[in-house]
Amino acid sequence: MSTELERTVPVTEEAELERLVGDRALSTDDHKNAPAFVVRPDAVQDVLFDLRDEAGFDHLSCVTAQQYEDRYETIYHLKKYDDPTQEVSVVVPTSTDEPVSQTAEPVYRSADWGEREAFDLVGIDYEGHPDPRRILLPETWQGHPLDLSYDQDKPQLVTLAEHANPLQEDHRDAETDTMFLNIGPHHPATHGVLHVKTVLDGETVADVEPDIGYLHRCEEQMCEQGTYRHQIMPYPDRWDYTANMPNEWAYARAAEDLADLEVPDYAQVLRTMGCELSRMAGHFLALGTFALDVFGDFTAIFQYAFRDRELAQDILEDLTGQRMMYNYFRLGGVAWDVPEPREEFFEKTRDFLDGLPTKVEEYDDLLTGNEVFQIRCVDTGILEPEIAKQYGCTGPVARGSGIDYDLRRDDPYGYYPELEWDVVTEDGKDNYSRVLVRMQEVEQSAKIVEQCIDLLEEWPEDDREIQSNVPRTLKPDPGTETYKAVENAKGELGIYIRADGTDTPGRFKIRSPCFHNLSTLAEMSQGEYVPDLVASLGSLDVILGEVDR
Amino acid sequence: MTGPVPLQSDGETYLLPERIADLTGLGEFGIAGESIAALLGAALVGTLMLTMTAVAGPWAKRKITAAFTDRIAVNRIGPFGLFIIVADAVRLISKELIVPENADRPAYDLAPIVVAGSAMLGFAVIPMGSGIQLADPEVGVVYLFAVSGIASIGLVMAGYASANKYSLMGGLRAVAQNVAYEIPLVVTGMSVVIFAGTLQLSEIVAVQAEPLIELGGVALPSWYAFVNPFAFGLFIAANLAEVGRNPFDTPEAPTEIVAGYQTEYSSVYFVLIYLGEFLHIFLGGAIIATLFLGGPAGPGPAALGIVWYIVKIWAVFLLTQWFRSALPRVRIDQLIEIGWKGMLVLSFANLVLTAILVGAIA
Repeated sequence: MSTELERTVPVTEEAELERLVGDRALSTDDHKNAPAFVVRPDAVQDVLFDLRDEAGFDHLSCVTAQQYEDRYETIYHLKKYDDPTQEVSVVVPTSTDEPVSQTAEPVYRSADWGEREAFDLVGIDYEGHPDPRRILLPETWQGHPLDLSYDQDKPQLVTLAEHANPLQEDHRDAETDTMFLNIGPHHPATHGVLHVKTVLDGETVADVEPDIGYLHRCEEQMCEQGTYRHQIMPYPDRWDYTANMPNEWAYARAAEDLADLEVPDYAQVLRTMGCELSRMAGHFLALGTFALDVFGDFTAIFQYAFRDRELAQDILEDLTGQRMMYNYFRLGGVAWDVPEPREEFFEKTRDFLDGLPTKVEEYDDLLTGNEVFQIRCVDTGILEPEIAKQYGCTGPVARGSGIDYDLRRDDPYGYYPELEWDVVTEDGKDNYSRVLVRMQEVEQSAKIVEQCIDLLEEWPEDDREIQSNVPRTLKPDPGTETYKAVENAKGELGIYIRADGTDTPGRFKIRSPCFHNLSTLAEMSQGEYVPDLVASLGSLDVILGEVDR
Repeated sequence: MTGPVPLQSDGETYLLPERIADLTGLGEFGIAGESIAALLGAALVGTLMLTMTAVAGPWAKRKITAAFTDRIAVNRIGPFGLFIIVADAVRLISKELIVPENADRPAYDLAPIVVAGSAMLGFAVIPMGSGIQLADPEVGVVYLFAVSGIASIGLVMAGYASANKYSLMGGLRAVAQNVAYEIPLVVTGMSVVIFAGTLQLSEIVAVQAEPLIELGGVALPSWYAFVNPFAFGLFIAANLAEVGRNPFDTPEAPTEIVAGYQTEYSSVYFVLIYLGEFLHIFLGGAIIATLFLGGPAGPGPAALGIVWYIVKIWAVFLLTQWFRSALPRVRIDQLIEIGWKGMLVLSFANLVLTAILVGAIA
């Protein structure tokens, strides 16, 4: 297996962790994925600094907040970029009367947005947070929707006087000669409804602040109201709606870990193939829309990218019956086998894969080999790897900055460990590198799909089990908690589930890679020109459906 | 020397207004009659150009872009979807005209007219073949560059008067860009003037009719595109920037500044700006055809001149659309850098070399 990561990172044993946290731990907890330490609200930074600097947990993957009957709780899910199988959770309980907890922002920059979301949706205050505002909901929102005492039926009436229109404020300032510019929420280059508050000095970007939440659809809450077995699986398709299938795996992986479900090998191959086809479709779209941002019009390259995405979608349609919202995964397997006649399906997929090298050449000619494209993209939107890690960047964005991090290899799942493929990284750290990474990942995905097709073709007919035995109603033990992530087209998509003994999750938290990737926009584009800001935004390939959830 | 325009007995070119005056007998009414004849001639040329842009705008651009991008484009209304032109005209004119509250009027209202009008003025001096030329002043080339440069004022007016930050940025970009590329454009055009020894457009066209070399019995005319391909390339590049087409479409740059100076224009105003852009592309094509491609010259009888002229400007239009579909947009600072540090130097080098060459031959 060429894909096995050489584990040079020392494994931090649990005993070592216990020594490190010491008596700052009130108690320990056992999450299914990692050991968890319960610490006092005023020791958060202390503990996190030690875990980061002494034990090497440099990746704050996710901040989960939730409310119990007797307390609020913030969970910091920590990982190591060099070995994401090493995990530890830091649980911070706070009282119901006064939910105040120390901020983790000085330790991990990614806690900035993470804690803002926790405050917004659950209502925990973070002491010392540099920017304690709502992030997904409007400033005028009353209450915190995931708070147990929140009354969903109470209408959110905002009087006209109170109603703040962020676009209407007068930002004129006699002292400075900068200009405030709203890019979005409706703008050709924001790839959805994103509002970027920009301060310009001439054409130079002085400051950028992404304002998100326009596409917030309460996905977490909806998942909490659905039953594990069938009602949750359709939702993941709606997060990253350009490369949908890997999202389903995120939920499947977390739920299967929670309930200890087995998945037959044959289903794993089907899952792997479907996800990689979906990843290709997503990357084609990313390449096309990035070209749209840089070329400036719906030009040839955009249409070529869509043509190729279409081919991948056709195959997925044959496989799942759907073009976008596949709903193909089931807990413990997949919905159905490849369509009959099987040969036809395999042939169609092979045709697509065989045609790919010529198309990649086309992309090289029109896109990456184009000199004008190069002067636009090389050395613009620089994202230093240290900064990327601070913000919790993953996926092609991290790999474009030279961070060798891919959960398919580093935290293996599915059939990936059995297949021959490589993790693509580029060292340019710029917009161009991120494009190169996606281009090469398309080829790697094709390689994986090809191997899956071979496997499926030769699979003995009496062993084609697509679904393991799963109880009709799934009720994981109360108090079981897990956090599991997969590599979707944009990066690390993690799901935290806490079971409460019923057939629906007690808490369902989505860790969105786009959410974290987008938070680096300011770092990337300050001091550059407006066109570079647009290109950087395009190269991050954010899908607002996943950012806002 | 056989010019594109028939000569009168006294050696003067026989221009379109005069011919109309003679044909209709308007000439007998003195100055007033001649003015009416001139108006009729202008109306004829204007209609010709507007018809072409009306075709190019809604229909040809879609078809050409579709061909570049593996699509079919309009094909439902009429043969080859041609009637989409009517549908588009109705659609665009029937839209609501929205004027921003803080718009600076009348600059806001004048800008579209200036943009479209400046291009129309240019066609007055172009020899279109088949005897169609409205006027033939001795300083034709200077006039041509002067009126096409007026468009920049229109763009700034549009950008500034719209009271929109994106428009303002677009307007500023347009000026920066036009200033940077107008100079190389004019300087390169001057090298043609040095070759021809005249500023009069009919003369420049006539000089190009002379054979350059004979190849197997076929005489290659001395079009300046053949005589000095370097200047031709420079001129095409500068012209692309001048009319704001890819890869130099920074003043509009939809993905960056929405639509630049035209963001706040709707309905008829939008049509005028859009029309103005197409007229400028066609005027650019006409200038290129006249200065470098022998004007209306082509095989067959001289009466076919107008056909060749139209073919040539459509060829230039096709070229701009090709660039549009294939090339990324350069950044505004890179664009200015290319203009001042590259094009300007090259165009002056070309001018000096041409002058030395022409001087040595003489």
